[in-house]
Amino acid sequence: MISTFTTSESLAAARAANRRAAVAGRTVIFRIKRCDGPGKPSRWEDFKVPVPVGANVISCLQYIAANPVTADGKPTTPVVWDSGCLEEVCGACTMLVGGRVRQSCSALIDDYAPAEGDVITLEPMSKFPVIRDLWVDRERLFHNLKRVKAWVPIDGTYHLGAGPTESPDQQGTRYKLSECMSCGCCLEACPQFNLEEKPDMWDTSFIGPHAISQARLFNMHGTGKVLADERLDALMGMGGVSECGNAQNCVKVCPKHIPLTESIAAMGRATTIHGFKRFFRG
Amino acid sequence: MSESTTADPRGFFERNHYLLRRLHSLSGVVPIGLFAIIHLTTNSSIVWAAILTEKGRTVTDRTVATFQEEVYFIHNLPFLIFTEVFMLWLPILFHALLGIYYAKTGKANTDRYSYQGNWRYTLQRVSGYIGFLFILYHIATLRWGWTFLVPGGTRWEYPYAASTLAACLRGGVGEVTMAGILISVFYFIGVTMLVYHFANGLWTAAITWGLTISQKAQQRWGVVCTALGVTLFAMGASAVLGFATLRPDEALRIENRVMPTDKRVELQREGKLKPNPGEPRSADAVQTH
Repeated sequence: MISTFTTSESLAAARAANRRAAVAGRTVIFRIKRCDGPGKPSRWEDFKVPVPVGANVISCLQYIAANPVTADGKPTTPVVWDSGCLEEVCGACTMLVGGRVRQSCSALIDDYAPAEGDVITLEPMSKFPVIRDLWVDRERLFHNLKRVKAWVPIDGTYHLGAGPTESPDQQGTRYKLSECMSCGCCLEACPQFNLEEKPDMWDTSFIGPHAISQARLFNMHGTGKVLADERLDALMGMGGVSECGNAQNCVKVCPKHIPLTESIAAMGRATTIHGFKRFFRG
Repeated sequence: MSESTTADPRGFFERNHYLLRRLHSLSGVVPIGLFAIIHLTTNSSIVWAAILTEKGRTVTDRTVATFQEEVYFIHNLPFLIFTEVFMLWLPILFHALLGIYYAKTGKANTDRYSYQGNWRYTLQRVSGYIGFLFILYHIATLRWGWTFLVPGGTRWEYPYAASTLAACLRGGVGEVTMAGILISVFYFIGVTMLVYHFANGLWTAAITWGLTISQKAQQRWGVVCTALGVTLFAMGASAVLGFATLRPDEALRIENRVMPTDKRVELQREGKLKPNPGEPRSADAVQTH
């Protein structure tokens, strides 16, 4: 059956098929969107990379860094990227691989470019300002976590004792939400979250699925819920939960399969109740 | 101290952001969505009345008569103009203006992420724009009497609801014209867009208000909204097709039988029936053709 729409299953199937067809000892073209610095114009450069078995995007970027020569033999500057853990838990190496957002460390070349001369494109995320080449500034993502106070307030002058116990059920829900690594995939794929270079606009523009989900995580926490009202107030302001347009791309691209759309609906319910309470109680 | 007494520096829209968003969502369901269901039920009677009313008369006879009786009922409801202004026109204007403002905060990206949900998101906005244009044309021509926008120049009048509506859709009181086909197609597209907008909007409203939370619940509600959408589409399509294929002269004959002119004039004199402002003109206009 031909699927009209992209689904997580159809993507996985296409990548698995590529992996099975991958040719050993091939050379792949990396088409990289480059930028020399903030505010500078972008350009595309091609690089020829011999692909060893099991290569990922990062290992190929390391090859390009060691051999900064374009496909037509012109020497250029090494391509810059950001990375940390190299095992898909830190989120730093997030970029557009083949036009779609994901972590580049877990992106296997076999999945994308199985044949000799196949092209694989790399672009920086478009919703954050570029620092250089594939490296972006994700400051706004963390700023938005501060807007909903995504933490448990335990700082003080005396020992608070043990926290309240949690039911296994609640623990199960919260564990999944706690897997968020602040990578930015959900924001990149969201049609309601767009590039905002001016930091004074950040507090009134869409906060993003990640922050809504983290607000839910900490509102469910035994100690964290002391800030529940403040988090709900933040989500009811400009750029809060009502900015969501229900395209639901976030949940499709989340590398940790966090139920972001359920978090958005849950916070929709929480703010509905909070709003009614505030309306009648003042 | 002085800080706590200072007025909120934020503007009206920022202070009431959440309330406005929720009123926007609510207005789409009640009154607008609810009205759409009633409106399509009435208008599709030009088709369903053929099945659901008693036999013994011709199909057209039964459908036109049923529709005309419904229109008489609606147009003799008390305070109709207040209902129209406060329950329909103002809520639609509110919903549309805020909708355009909200839609402008997004940037469609179906080229990169062609998930079905993302297409529905984009289509929700497109259908809002097209649907609003259609509603403006629909109300302006049929309710406000902007006949210069109607090919053939027919003025819609409630005692001749079926015949004048058919003439407005067909481009005149005679055979259907090219312009009439275009108007009928525009009606079909407009109605389809609005039905989609309502069905999909009802689905997202349940998420917005937090009624459906789990993926399962959202899927289940999706089935309900799809069923409602398909039903309303069938009703909308049959209404447009029903009137686009109705001959105005034949409809007028039935309307005059349902409510003969002398009986209507008498009822109007007794105050039991609202007078129709453009009546003599239209009766002549349609009859002379």
